[in-house]
Amino acid sequence: MSINQMILRNMRKNLKNYYLYVFALVFSVGLYFSFVTLQYDPGVDNVETSAKMAAAIRTAAIMLVVIVTVFLVYANSIFIKRRGKEIGLFQLIGMTKGRIFRVLTIENLIIYISSMLIGIFVGFSFSKLIQMVLFKTTGITEVASLNFSAAALLQTVIVFFVIFGVIMLTNWIFIKGQSILSLFRATSKTEGQIRNISILEIIMGLLGLVLIIAGYYVSSKLFDGDFSVMNELLFAMAFILGAVILGTYLFYKGSIRFVANLLRKRKKGYLNINDVMSLSSIMFRMKSNSLLLTIITTVSALAIGLSSLSYISYYSAEKTSKQNIPDHFSLADEQNAKQFEQELKESGFDFYQKEFKVLQANVVTKEILVKQQSGAAFDPSEMVLPIISDQALNEMNAAPDEAIFTGYSKVLASVISFDKEGLIQIEGKEKVIDQDYLGLENDYILPYSYSDGGLPTVVVDQTTFASLQEDIDEEVQDEPLTYFGFNLEDPSNLSEATDLFQSLSYNDDEGRSSQYEAFLQQKENMGLVMFIVGFLGLTFLITSGCILYFKQMNESEEERPNYTVLRKLGFTEADLSRGVRGKQLVNFGIPLIVGLLHGYFAVRSGWFFFGTEFYTPMLIVMGIYTILYSIFGGLSIVYYKKVIREAL
Amino acid sequence: MNVLEASKIQKSYGNKFMKQDVLMGIDVSIERGEFISIMGASGSGKTTLLNVLSSIDRVSGGSIKIDGQEMTKKREKQLAEFRKRHLGFIFQEYNLLDTLTVKENILLPLSIAKVSKEEAIMAFDSLAEELGIDEIQNKYPNEISGGQKQRTSAARAFIHNPSIIFADEPTGALDSKSASNLLNKLSDLNARRKATIAMVTHDPVAASYSGRVIFIKDGRIYTQLNKGTESRQSFLKDIMKTQGVLGGVQYEH
Repeated sequence: MSINQMILRNMRKNLKNYYLYVFALVFSVGLYFSFVTLQYDPGVDNVETSAKMAAAIRTAAIMLVVIVTVFLVYANSIFIKRRGKEIGLFQLIGMTKGRIFRVLTIENLIIYISSMLIGIFVGFSFSKLIQMVLFKTTGITEVASLNFSAAALLQTVIVFFVIFGVIMLTNWIFIKGQSILSLFRATSKTEGQIRNISILEIIMGLLGLVLIIAGYYVSSKLFDGDFSVMNELLFAMAFILGAVILGTYLFYKGSIRFVANLLRKRKKGYLNINDVMSLSSIMFRMKSNSLLLTIITTVSALAIGLSSLSYISYYSAEKTSKQNIPDHFSLADEQNAKQFEQELKESGFDFYQKEFKVLQANVVTKEILVKQQSGAAFDPSEMVLPIISDQALNEMNAAPDEAIFTGYSKVLASVISFDKEGLIQIEGKEKVIDQDYLGLENDYILPYSYSDGGLPTVVVDQTTFASLQEDIDEEVQDEPLTYFGFNLEDPSNLSEATDLFQSLSYNDDEGRSSQYEAFLQQKENMGLVMFIVGFLGLTFLITSGCILYFKQMNESEEERPNYTVLRKLGFTEADLSRGVRGKQLVNFGIPLIVGLLHGYFAVRSGWFFFGTEFYTPMLIVMGIYTILYSIFGGLSIVYYKKVIREAL
Repeated sequence: MNVLEASKIQKSYGNKFMKQDVLMGIDVSIERGEFISIMGASGSGKTTLLNVLSSIDRVSGGSIKIDGQEMTKKREKQLAEFRKRHLGFIFQEYNLLDTLTVKENILLPLSIAKVSKEEAIMAFDSLAEELGIDEIQNKYPNEISGGQKQRTSAARAFIHNPSIIFADEPTGALDSKSASNLLNKLSDLNARRKATIAMVTHDPVAASYSGRVIFIKDGRIYTQLNKGTESRQSFLKDIMKTQGVLGGVQYEH
């Protein structure tokens, strides 16, 4: 029989083993290709923010390659281990390792190329769907067209041949490092010797927990103003990342086995079937699994964190735009305002109007600053802040020597925070007015264009305002002095009113802003980020779910003899299945719960940079993640049941 | 009184056109407290007989009664239930769970039977002493020798005082010293606990420890030998003589 014949026969015989590998390949190629197609699509290129978008998509593509490589190398490693016996047999009949490697490479190449073709086809069909999703989330009303891109094809082919090289390299290392005997035992030997729990492990487990908790603690303090210098902040972030990842690893390596061991010790050797199926089996493998579980947990946490953050910003687009632009429309020029008022009336909109004067003045806040910011770009002890009279507002009232701050952006507040009360000075051109600072309110009154992108507005008494108006410092009057706000009585007409506003194009008006416009803008920007992150998150999820599933498949094959024994002893299929359910609850549940926790703390530390809503969007993301994850757990249970049924 | 009564057991593999008969009408009965061996050449059907008797495999015809209950009509779930209460197993490849310690492996059958923990541990202690596995009770199977593994396996078979214990080549993978050690323990337990044991073996020395040997040839019972009051040595000679007559390939002229 020639080598070629042997290769073909081998492939036919191994089809059952291959399907897992083929699936992994088709999936990865399809995913990657559809993503790259998107990158090269002229439709996407035409999107307004194309430079930003292209860069974001390219970064995402690189991350995809990394994940896909890890995934394929793992799938291949399971696959080649299953064939250890066969490789041993080839060696036994006198084939050299180089020859075996050649046979494997040709075999792999055939599989690889055919799966790639399928994958590209699947990816091509899939990219249309992705494109439609993309345009839907960003709110771009462009028809999604299906363009086959040669550049995308080329890139996909190159990337996957590089990955092929990596896989072959790992195969070569595997074949090279094995003797005939060890190959025969490849499937049974993987776990190594089982040892009893050592003190070291207990310490390791505890250390892991301590590290994780420390990481969480620091993350919750991250933007509370304790770390105000940029270097400190970076250091703290690095510490959190390192502590949590290392802690997770140690936790898996030590704690879980330790806790399981405590439970087991208490049974004094009298284990029931559920313990046998879950507890002992998990303990048996946890040590060698801890690295894989750490990777999966970290990846899941990353995916959950990122998707939550981007969803938070998407979800709170409306609120954010309301914060940035408190009134539906605003203008600074009196002429323009009059005209717009007229137009609104003519078009039959019910609305109400606000009008007040805004001054800019230097405010000395030295005494109410919580902490001195030494590394910042400007000195916060003196800031130019917009000042308005309390007469402009119904909600607030200030005595002649009192001032209230209102509408301070949370992002800025995390860097520069104020005390609850104290003394401030408002500097006019000649005089300096001392004021009692009464605290910070949450009402947003002026749009971003007046408040320098989120600085608080100072509300003072009318008399103070009047005297300040007399003594105005011309040098700091960068922003318009008047403010006209318009609000519709019925917000459902906002879209049409915005059309009217836009058609009048007050582009030369410094105070021009439209809430709805900003909302759409925000949605478009965040929709893109959310799309990319969501795509990556989904990929992370599916690959990590698949890796766990493959792993469980492998484990169930390894445990098949155990199931045979148990069934001979008289345990029924139902008994064993119940045990397996418990085991899978732990195997999938622990990385999920730890991942969710990590994700939660990551999101909590910095969510206010992204939006105004926290729990709802985060819980939605986490819920979806949990459901998708459970599907993989369910699939693995189905597989286990099949193995158990066939065991006797 | 008979623990096991099997009559006209038939077992064949394959379909209507390609049928291969492995067992062709075998009658066996085993009395309570008996220690019997089933011997035969490779391919004679002795392991199939054991599998069928122990309800792991199904018969094609005939009936098997254990403790007066008909086994051939039972459903899979009932069989599992029966196995866990009334049968014990010792296998050639030990079949211990790698993930459990020696003690946990041995106590496994009791946990299904819902015996209280105190009773279970008492049962374990007395059995562990008899089989000499006291010191290794907290070790894992891959840390102990083959002989110790097989004694563990034996302990697991005895722990729940089953009606009958089936042993499939229990000494097959052991060196001669561990083998005789195990067989001595088995016959001790047989005598002391009145445990019924049915053992398949091709080793005449192993068979000589039992009270009766059934020889199987080509799916039928060839002959039976009773030890009676003989010494083990002379019984061994008888077994070897019978094996000599029975064994080997027959040339047809």
